[in-house]
Amino acid sequence: MSEHHKETFLTKYIFSLDHKMIAKQFLITGMFMGVVGMLMSILFRLQLSNPGESFAVLEFFLGEKWAPGGVLDPNIYLALVTMHGTILIFWVLTAGLTGTFANFLIPLQIGARDMASAFMNMLSYWFFFAATIVLLCSLFVESGPAAAGWTIYPPLSALPQAIPGSGLGQDLWLIAITLFVVSSLLGGLNYIVTILNMRTKGMTMSRLPLTIWALLIVAILGVLSFPVLLSCALLLIFDRSFGTSFYLSDIIINGEALHNTGGSPILFEHLFWFLGHPEVYIILLPALGIVSEVISVNSRKPIFGYKAMVGALILIAFLSFVVWGHHMFITGMDPFLGSVFTFTTLLIAIPSAVKVFNYLATLWRANIRFTPAMLFAIGFVSTFITGGLTGIILGDSALDINVHDTYFVVGHFHIVMGLSAIYGMLAGVYHWFPKMYGRMMNKKLGYFHFWVTFISAYGVFFPMHFLGLAGLPRRYYTNSAFPMFDGLSDINEIITFFAIVGGLVQLLFIFNFFYSIFKGTKATENPWGSNTLEWTTPVERIHGNWPGEIPTVERWAYDYSKPGAEEDFVPQNVPLKEGETEH
Amino acid sequence: MSILVGLIILLSVIVLVQILRVNELVSEVKDQDPNEITDKDNNIQGILTFSIFGVLFLGFVIWQFKYWGVHILPPASSLHGATIDTLMNFTLGVILFVFFLTQPILAWFSLKYRGRKNAVAYYYPHNNKLEIIWTVVPTLVLTPLIIYGLNVWNDITSADTSNSKVIELYAKQFNWTARYAGDDNTLGKANYKLVEGLNVLGVDMEDDTAQDDIVTREVHLVVDKPVLLKMRSQDVIHSAFLPHFRVQMNCVPGMTTQFGFTPTQTTAEMKEQEGEDFDFVLLCNKICGAAHYNMKMKFIVETQEEYDAWIASQETLKNSLTLN
Amino acid sequence: MQLNLKKNKASKQLLWIGIVSIVMFFGGLTSAYIVRKAEGGWLEFEMPVWFTISTIAIIVSSALLLFAAQNVKSGKSATTLLLGTLFLGILFSYSQIQGWGDLVAQGVYLTGEGSNASGSFIYAITLMHLLHLIGGLVALLITTVKSKQGNYSKDNYLGIQLASIYWHFLGILWLYLFLFFNYS
Repeated sequence: MSEHHKETFLTKYIFSLDHKMIAKQFLITGMFMGVVGMLMSILFRLQLSNPGESFAVLEFFLGEKWAPGGVLDPNIYLALVTMHGTILIFWVLTAGLTGTFANFLIPLQIGARDMASAFMNMLSYWFFFAATIVLLCSLFVESGPAAAGWTIYPPLSALPQAIPGSGLGQDLWLIAITLFVVSSLLGGLNYIVTILNMRTKGMTMSRLPLTIWALLIVAILGVLSFPVLLSCALLLIFDRSFGTSFYLSDIIINGEALHNTGGSPILFEHLFWFLGHPEVYIILLPALGIVSEVISVNSRKPIFGYKAMVGALILIAFLSFVVWGHHMFITGMDPFLGSVFTFTTLLIAIPSAVKVFNYLATLWRANIRFTPAMLFAIGFVSTFITGGLTGIILGDSALDINVHDTYFVVGHFHIVMGLSAIYGMLAGVYHWFPKMYGRMMNKKLGYFHFWVTFISAYGVFFPMHFLGLAGLPRRYYTNSAFPMFDGLSDINEIITFFAIVGGLVQLLFIFNFFYSIFKGTKATENPWGSNTLEWTTPVERIHGNWPGEIPTVERWAYDYSKPGAEEDFVPQNVPLKEGETEH
Repeated sequence: MSILVGLIILLSVIVLVQILRVNELVSEVKDQDPNEITDKDNNIQGILTFSIFGVLFLGFVIWQFKYWGVHILPPASSLHGATIDTLMNFTLGVILFVFFLTQPILAWFSLKYRGRKNAVAYYYPHNNKLEIIWTVVPTLVLTPLIIYGLNVWNDITSADTSNSKVIELYAKQFNWTARYAGDDNTLGKANYKLVEGLNVLGVDMEDDTAQDDIVTREVHLVVDKPVLLKMRSQDVIHSAFLPHFRVQMNCVPGMTTQFGFTPTQTTAEMKEQEGEDFDFVLLCNKICGAAHYNMKMKFIVETQEEYDAWIASQETLKNSLTLN
Repeated sequence: MQLNLKKNKASKQLLWIGIVSIVMFFGGLTSAYIVRKAEGGWLEFEMPVWFTISTIAIIVSSALLLFAAQNVKSGKSATTLLLGTLFLGILFSYSQIQGWGDLVAQGVYLTGEGSNASGSFIYAITLMHLLHLIGGLVALLITTVKSKQGNYSKDNYLGIQLASIYWHFLGILWLYLFLFFNYS
């Protein structure tokens, strides 16, 4: 333990081994990337609602080359869409969300002084940082950043002649993703081993807070699925750089017939979605964990059906490995295989429904304290329901034929995993901010932030279902080329309006965040009256988390409003009273 | 310009900081913690949650169906499309029912159980019976959905195409080409290495079945006669999307994919129903490059007589390639 | 002591779970191989003899490493045996490279006109295995040096244990790949 070592600025803030500092590094990097990704979406939304019109802001950010006369270039439109997806999915909602809360909460909630390997943990952040730098660099290369969609289907992503973004930009994208995967694996290994080995006395698996369960399962998903993404990317790198034919066959590009034969782009899709689908749950599960915790604390009630909640998490995680084919119903796959994937996909609705009903049951006869975190958690339940339900349409192979790759899909996944995960993340930040920085975030700004976010987010993504049902494909630079879409311009304008409002209000959140770090009112040790172990640590940040002995755990994390207790919460380290049963 | 923007941002940050400071000072004077959640907060936020989650949002959803429902694609113009539509309506019905059941409960509970300082929540950690009910009920609801869905899927994918007219759709950046199989209803072999000059599809003219193939820039179909579309791609993945027929299939370089369907309405009938501008259209629905958004081909559904007249006016490959 | 045991256990678990993710990586590659092979247009060719030599080298190296670990556990020096393992590991790498040379001589190319996915897969997968093996060689080198310096004892041989687990895993992985290429 290096508790008594003198810390310099460098070891305290930059090359820190302390899991709490590493968590903050992930959070702030994730927030920065979030702003970048959000800005990109607003830039391309301007083009979608006002196709071909000139905007000074486009020229300001993209320059004369990519926005000549303030009009977005179609190639950079695709690049913006690609980078927006990549950044939000991997940088914000994977690293920013899991990296932050796994690092912060795992040692604190299980009662450990730090991660199993603090060094690997630091390495995990620095690989992530390097990935971030490479990805940001790709924004400035001559031929533009990667532009083949975040799913980088070859041959589009394999041939620089097919689209400018598939040149150096795509190379940097692949390098960034490789670094990112290494970072995730280093982190994931550490999370699993820490949770399995470093729990304090009495912290049995059945007493783990749901956040930790979710993070454990996410880490397992990551360790199993990210290497497959790497193998998928490796073969693509071979095709791009060495001219092999894993994914390429019978291609004429720019009038030139390539020698490659026998490769199959469908092979790429299989490998990609074997990661890609678990990735969706890598994003969603931490949010489910955080929301379970926040809802229980602020309802002043135990989470309803703890065991069912854990079981549902495990079932969802397991199913996520056998549903990848539902992204490929219209690739000409064997119809029987399509039936199997439809079946497994729709099964996910069952554990998801159990989770929703358990949340509702937790709120029933609660004593709800509306913190900003709680509002985001309730918002999560709403978006999880809305987005989950439309998944039943997309998971059904027959219905997918006509909505596949339309705006219906865009609406669906932005609500169910984009908004839900962001709400979970924001709930987590508001909830654990006092523990992270020893100060409170401003409540009123928090309320304002939530309501504007909630309204504008639905304002952006709900109307997209109607665009999709009108047959509008996603990733169209403009829909003005087809008279059948002419009636949709009012919907597009509304979406862009809400996107701008929703984007601006996030700046207010960032302001609140940094203001509160320095000027927020001082927090007490346990401001929310919470049971979990992190709230038994002192407000002042120390390496090693507890000044004395690590507390032992005597009960589960959800004894809120338990009859017979003096207060409406009983922390986990309080021994059971004579004759008291556990739950 | 940038300086001005920078100044405005700086000013608004300063103003915000000042507002927050004043707010905190006022609370301090009143001896309150400005960030404590009071009963008043709970009241306001509870009411807001109910009105925004439960009234505004649900109202917005209904409003959208009312005013934007018209944009939804007209009923399918194909045989299998009609079964998809029925399945869609059924599924949508179930989904909307669950949606309008659970969202109001969420909103109502938020209002009803908003916190009060001295109230105590009801300690209710689990109830196995309830949990079994809400595992079994979704399962029971899903079972017909899955069975129904799989039936429709099987009917579509296992449809008998032996009597269908074969047409090839050939995708490249950024246009479509069609090839009719001709009188023998068999497409001549093709190879990408043979693509040259006028032979844009790389058809092998040594092949006997290729002689009567006809290459066109739009597709004419006969109403109520089954067709089998076979897709190929020259460069990257494209996707042949015919929304009005509920048809979509990827076009993948190096392989041939297919989709069979039967159109049930002529273009003329649709124009009457949807307006003069109406046309069946083929879109590209897989990101394929800069002009992805503008990759289209017209489909025309007509009577047998009209079709016969049109196809007779087209040149066979034998004529167009070998005689020129 | 208690803490040390806990730490040892955690280190081994880290390694094991890391191995699981490596297995997934090669699982991805070999299942791609199977899927691609099933699609046809697959060039069949003889595996080079050098790959068999590699196989023998890595099996013997694992055996030596087992003895080395035994020695340390019973308090004897393991340096010579570790050196032997290291040598065989380098021999393995050498014969892999020779194996590629044989493949090229057979007309099996990684890329270019006349190359086939079957050949490209062999190159890509063996290269990835070799990269992982180089990591193993570095680990072995460190343990050899530490053993020479007398850093290991009856009660303290975690380093050798970890290196052994990883090295044996690489051997088994190669054996799997070798059988896979020959008999799949």
